[in-house]
Amino acid sequence: MKEPRIVGIGQLAVCHSPEQLSCLGLGSCVAVILYDPQARVGGMVHVLLPKAPQKVDLEEKYADSGTRKLVKEMTFNGAAKDRMVAKLVGGAQMFKNLNVQFANIGRFNVLEARKALREFSIRIVAEDIEGDRGRSASLDSATGRVTVKKVFSPTRVI
Amino acid sequence: MTGEKPDRALEIIKEFANIGAGSAATALGTMLDVDLMNDVTSCNIMPLSQVPEWLGGAEKIVAGTYTQLCGSLKSGILVVLPSESAIMLLKHLTKEQVDLSNLNELQRSCLKEVGNICLCWYLIAVSKMVDIDMIPAPPDATVDLLGAVLDMPLAALGAKVDTVLAVHTCFKALDKEFEGYFLMLPEDQTLKVILDRMESKK
Repeated sequence: MKEPRIVGIGQLAVCHSPEQLSCLGLGSCVAVILYDPQARVGGMVHVLLPKAPQKVDLEEKYADSGTRKLVKEMTFNGAAKDRMVAKLVGGAQMFKNLNVQFANIGRFNVLEARKALREFSIRIVAEDIEGDRGRSASLDSATGRVTVKKVFSPTRVI
Repeated sequence: MTGEKPDRALEIIKEFANIGAGSAATALGTMLDVDLMNDVTSCNIMPLSQVPEWLGGAEKIVAGTYTQLCGSLKSGILVVLPSESAIMLLKHLTKEQVDLSNLNELQRSCLKEVGNICLCWYLIAVSKMVDIDMIPAPPDATVDLLGAVLDMPLAALGAKVDTVLAVHTCFKALDKEFEGYFLMLPEDQTLKVILDRMESKK
């Protein structure tokens, strides 16, 4: 099988079956994963921050604008909005005892991503979010299954 | 992002980080009673998405201690130990068996304290040099994927910029299998202040 394509921070990718996409080392970042089971098109965006400012420099960096762009890219690649389902992975709080401005940004990332998905009426079918552990997620676009790996704990398929 | 003379700016920042890391390595070496040596500092300007890869891959398991400066200067500072080095360090200090997946209270606190000492010595040295007080927030430590450990510091920077300047200094024990690195991620404004001060000293 071909190596999965890595989606880095602030990057977006869409692929067709049987390609795979991967986000490695998600901490407070969130991977918004969309999948159209009929067209077998999958997409992933690796967002770092919750809300885009007025003047957006990089849409893929923010949960709200990144999700919107992902929906657009998916549609462009042959997926239909009403068939898409979403999965969210990430949004952990890595440093629990740190008292700084960005201490619980993961939670806000998740909330913004959910809000953006609601705009398009896309159903979230599975989540592996929050907590205090980093994750790696990979999407198999042949089946739509997402494998979530955590350090020191068993792999989970959602 | 560093103005018209990026090469010169990078050289200055390297010098700055060298002095900080030197002081931190001396402190850590004294505490652990090992000879620590600093490697050359490298610094680089790169997009956010490339930082984990530059440091050796997002999926490496590391022990990271992170803090932020909360005075007039803003920067994230990390001390990162690869998992084997973290185990060695904790064994050496606590004389107990170490299981990184299940650290006990003492070991966790120990990791934090080592990070704290390194960070503070780093800051003492550099703040003397540029003559600005640098006040760190109390640090926190975690053992996890490198990418996940980096998320917070990158999020703090990413709110303003897409490319970051990362300053990276390795330290190594001469006689033991022990290594790690310091990573400084200064904000643009902070970088300017540091460069100005360093220039005027020369």
